[in-house]
Amino acid sequence: MTAYERIVKHYQQRNLSALEWKKNGGKVIGYFCNNVPEELIMAAGFFPLRISGDPWEGTETAEGYRMPYPVVAFVETMMNKLLTGKYDFLDYLVIPHARDPIWRLWTQLHFVSELDPQIKLPEIYYYDNLHTTFYTSSVYNRDRTIELKKQLEKWSGKKIPAKALKKAIAITNENKRLLKEVAALRSADPPRISGLEALQIIGTSMCMPKEEHNRLLTAYLQDSESLPAHNGIRLFVEGSPLDNLQFYEVVESCGALVVAEDNCWGNRYSDVPISHTVNLFQSIVDRYLKKSPCPRMFPLQKRIDYCVQKAIESKAQGALFHIYVGDNLQAWEAPEEIKALRANGLPVAYLKKQPYLLSDTDKEGLRTEIKEFIKTL
Amino acid sequence: MTDEKKPLLRSEKKLKSAALVQAYQKEWWNQTQERLRQGEPYAICMADDAEDIFTAFDIPVIVIPWWSAMISAKRMSEYYGNVLAAHGYDMDQYGSLGLGVTLDHRPEIAPWGGLPKPLVIMGTTMSDHALKITDLWAREYGCTCFTTELNYNTPTNPYPHRWWEKIRDHWDQVIEPHKIDLKVQELKGLIRFLEVHTGKEFSHAKLTEVMNLVNEQEDLWAKTRDLIAQSSPCVVTLPDQLSMYPAQWHRGKPQGRDIIKAFYEETLERVHTGQVACPREKIRMMWLGVGLWVNTAFFQYFEEEYGVTFVASIYTSIAADGYARTIKNNDPLRALASRFAWLGVQETEWLAHVAKQHHCDGVVGFQCGPRPQLWTRYLEKQGLPVCEIPGNNVDARQWDDVNIRNLMKDFIEKRILPNKKQAGRLKTDD
Ligand code: SF4
Repeated sequence: MTAYERIVKHYQQRNLSALEWKKNGGKVIGYFCNNVPEELIMAAGFFPLRISGDPWEGTETAEGYRMPYPVVAFVETMMNKLLTGKYDFLDYLVIPHARDPIWRLWTQLHFVSELDPQIKLPEIYYYDNLHTTFYTSSVYNRDRTIELKKQLEKWSGKKIPAKALKKAIAITNENKRLLKEVAALRSADPPRISGLEALQIIGTSMCMPKEEHNRLLTAYLQDSESLPAHNGIRLFVEGSPLDNLQFYEVVESCGALVVAEDNCWGNRYSDVPISHTVNLFQSIVDRYLKKSPCPRMFPLQKRIDYCVQKAIESKAQGALFHIYVGDNLQAWEAPEEIKALRANGLPVAYLKKQPYLLSDTDKEGLRTEIKEFIKTL
Repeated sequence: MTDEKKPLLRSEKKLKSAALVQAYQKEWWNQTQERLRQGEPYAICMADDAEDIFTAFDIPVIVIPWWSAMISAKRMSEYYGNVLAAHGYDMDQYGSLGLGVTLDHRPEIAPWGGLPKPLVIMGTTMSDHALKITDLWAREYGCTCFTTELNYNTPTNPYPHRWWEKIRDHWDQVIEPHKIDLKVQELKGLIRFLEVHTGKEFSHAKLTEVMNLVNEQEDLWAKTRDLIAQSSPCVVTLPDQLSMYPAQWHRGKPQGRDIIKAFYEETLERVHTGQVACPREKIRMMWLGVGLWVNTAFFQYFEEEYGVTFVASIYTSIAADGYARTIKNNDPLRALASRFAWLGVQETEWLAHVAKQHHCDGVVGFQCGPRPQLWTRYLEKQGLPVCEIPGNNVDARQWDDVNIRNLMKDFIEKRILPNKKQAGRLKTDD
């Protein structure tokens, strides 16, 4: 099996490594989003597994936990997976204060023992953090992260030594360095890696032991000279979290290549390493709080700047905005981002209110729209 | 309780104190418009985000849901919904109507000419969309978006059992201190910002006065709520209670306190004289969730048809249970911070408590999906039958009268009445 084939296998079976880890006596911590410091989980000796949605999962059980707030399907399928035993091997679960439907899982899951006592859930920890990048917020987040560290130590029964934390940071920084090489090959002229490939390469970093992922990446990149050149219209993708391949499959079947994206399952996960400052702990916290802003963050201008910068850097010929139905967070920022991209000379097509699971008809409709857009470039 | 021996009289439809609140609301709005016309600095902010600070400063403040309601009252929500959609915002969010007015730049057709540029819009992390709306709105005006963290929507550790009995006097034990610390820092930042930009001084004594007035007003709400909850038949129905709610916008002012004092006295008088809202009250209901502003005829219909009285909602009860904070260590800011950072308005144990306290036979609220939602399932477990009806509180077009009447009819006939019968039989058997 080539390195890439192994990556594909782990992308398709995202729990594979975690289950293996458990078989060897290790413990697994599930977490959501991009703002829980994996380094801490690793340094505490646990396997960090990012929880992902699944368009084919359905939401039936989770619907019984709805509250009068907007629903977005990718989060509801995560909840459904948790409620229907797809993550029954998790030892612990960390829910961060991320977008509303994510943090609200913390509230909703509290009711499981009362409403559906037969459902077993792992112990849940709520990781509080803030959505502004002010100084007070970074101090607040540091304190909450120290609490998370203490919780991890309680779970593992031992202190996290500074050495272990430094080592974990070295490993994740190496991972990010390698993923940046992947990003560079993607946006090269001609691109050597497609968007579809990249999404799987990046995604597997969140479901494999990082050292193993680093080894696979190193092997994969060793042969980068021999990677085939891809032809196609270069597109940048902005929008809702892409924890699956459906959309890129459609886009890249239209004679286009996704050369970069602003997405927490794509480049945004890996584009900034943790820098070493005088205070290691604050460095971790500030990386997660202040760099590569996720749409939940204030102010909007930072999001706009980030989106424009990433699109321009990728030398894309156009941008696609792809936003799920119910994803208010992204829908509210899209118009200003689109304006800014156009002001920078980048044409944009806005694919709004997209279903999480694409039917064949949806895919056909998207293909027509994307092909029409490509013709204008 | 109402004296059962006195003959029951149907109360005059309108509360006299509702006229007081309307009159003051009008006076306040006239004055505020004048102050805005004179170019006085003012603020736009979400509900429960910073108003009491502006009150203590005597800086006019426009609360976003209130402004949305004013725009809707002028029947312009559809128009501004279209304006928003034309700008790419077709998400139908109630709190965005004011942004629509500003984006439209047509004071000649805007309700009351729209709002001039404020000194500041309070950005809020209250929800994903509120954060964006306040940010976009400030961008459009070219004013500061002063964003603060922590509000009543901030996720919290599991609520302490019967928190409403502790929150007024023991808020420092209920709420994590680090949250109060941060909120105090943020409020101090805001105060400095306002001092610098308005030249006004912020006074500790004035804030203390504001907090004391809030406490007095909410204590009066609580006493009124207790009278209403215990009266049977009910002396003030939900639509009438809701007509008093605007007094909450004026908490911290003597006028707000005086209006609720009048409300209390009027309610007490009704209890004493046996004036009830619906003499043939048979069934008591709680309305769950946000306001049912779209269809007041709804209440009327079920009252006439089945003797249903809606007696409880989270609005009136949260005013009574959630807002007051005892000032400790001569620090009114910390007491206030504890309220901004924590309000139990969505907590389920409390929802069940409100229903039971008002002796409700059932609870009615909007659906939010194909199957019974979390609140419904929880309340049912507590022995409270719940009827979910389709629709939402914003869009009257989604009100399906026939369907809703049938659902309610079924609910009453198949669940509430048999329940009551059974309870009655149990009583006689005993
Ligand atoms: S965009 Fe941000 S909040 Fe949303 S799923 Fe990704 S990391 Fe989480």
